[in-house]
Amino acid sequence: MDNDRWLWTLGQEMARHQLAPDAVRHVVAEAAAHLRDSGQPALRAFGTPEGYAAAVAESLAARYGRPARPAPGRVRLSARGITKRYRRRTILRSVDLTVRAGEVAAVVGANGAGKSTFLRICAGLLAPDSGEVTLDGRLGYCPQDAGTYDFLLPDEQFVLIGAGRGLDRERSKQIGRAGAASLQWRPAAGVQTRHLSGGTRQKLNLVMASMGEPDVLLLDEPYQGFDRGTYLDFWQHVWRWRDEGRAVVVVTHLLSQLDQVDQVLDLTPASEGAAA
Amino acid sequence: MKILTVAEMAIREMVRRRAVLALLLALPLAFYLVRRGDQVGQSIRFLLIGLAWAVSTAALFASGTSRPIEPRLRLSGYASHHLYLGRLAAMWLLGLVVAAPFFALVAIDHGDQVRLGAVALAMLFAVTVAAPFGLLIGAIVPRELEGTLLLLVVVGVQMMIDPADALTKVTPFWSSREIGTYAVDHTGDEYLVRGLVHGLIFTILATAVVALLSTLRLRVRMRAATSA
Repeated sequence: MDNDRWLWTLGQEMARHQLAPDAVRHVVAEAAAHLRDSGQPALRAFGTPEGYAAAVAESLAARYGRPARPAPGRVRLSARGITKRYRRRTILRSVDLTVRAGEVAAVVGANGAGKSTFLRICAGLLAPDSGEVTLDGRLGYCPQDAGTYDFLLPDEQFVLIGAGRGLDRERSKQIGRAGAASLQWRPAAGVQTRHLSGGTRQKLNLVMASMGEPDVLLLDEPYQGFDRGTYLDFWQHVWRWRDEGRAVVVVTHLLSQLDQVDQVLDLTPASEGAAA
Repeated sequence: MKILTVAEMAIREMVRRRAVLALLLALPLAFYLVRRGDQVGQSIRFLLIGLAWAVSTAALFASGTSRPIEPRLRLSGYASHHLYLGRLAAMWLLGLVVAAPFFALVAIDHGDQVRLGAVALAMLFAVTVAAPFGLLIGAIVPRELEGTLLLLVVVGVQMMIDPADALTKVTPFWSSREIGTYAVDHTGDEYLVRGLVHGLIFTILATAVVALLSTLRLRVRMRAATSA
């Protein structure tokens, strides 16, 4: 990797860490000056751009704290006393979750803890045995899998979802392609969904969920198969949606980003499922 | 608009499965050819059953393919009737496209021996009934293998049952058989009339049950907040 490429990648990585554009420019300029003066290759001087960006982000966060965000708004999703049993086994026991506009909630738990079941109940796709879900606004739902047609092109999937949202064909394609580009994916012409890799298919799944500006986004482990860069881009999307005033619920088993969400609902049976 | 989009995508999904399309055409053709040397009437009646079987199988598979995706579509602004009516329209159109070359085949092969208008009508009713019937099986039996076997049982009974048996009137494709008999055996109008009535009633009933099951399955189980 030459120095120019390294510096460009550093800028991208820092943006993914939600650093302000001024800070990004400043750090990149400083690194470029150092490389010019020292004559060293960037990889030897700073290590990988990903690692350096993470170190800078951590250092800045420690020094200045996280930027202030607008206060959360009205309650968009309220799940109260959700209990669900399959046969004799209780999967969810009296689970509560309230998510306001401008908040991100993470739903975590071991395999089989009922994360996807809870999300399906929140989406209204599954009835709880007891409890109630109340939704205020438009819903966007990203299932864990099986959310796309194998033999359709990505553009056609965008048109299909867009029509449901009341968008015309061109606008649907435009929104879908823009969403794809923001996840570093440019759908190739004529490639059917079945020929996409698992990660790209998940990108499609995620773009479809976010079409039509939903007020509440329910995302069921939407990053499976993502490479590291796209994974960071995904969280950047989540934070942007939050800053736009959407309520976001993410089912996840990756703990690395939990410090950056507003609440964590742990469905592991041993715990009480309390929100942090 | 939403129904048309669902129909368009269902057709696109189906026509890209080239092997499926080939088999959709092969099934009625095989049925037609296997009795062609026998007698005209039987070959056309078999052709009608083959056509109905092919279309209902396509509808069954379309139903199975869409089943996991429909909840997402439901949450993306579609009502359940957009989904099943769109799929039904797609299967009707597909069925008519599959039927067209067979009508041409009969017209060329036996055009001077049969009532061609009635053959066209029998094919139209085979397709009209078969599409909602395939969707109905898909709605009742969610797994494709079970659905295919159930369809096989129904079509098998339809083919083997004694035409004089009263039970024949409750088989799904009796309408096209009656209209087909009118077309090839030059019978009286009563065959045509009861075929039309049976086909219409069966189509309406099958569509109504599909509508009911789809609406129940895809109902959204939550309360909408009353906005302040």
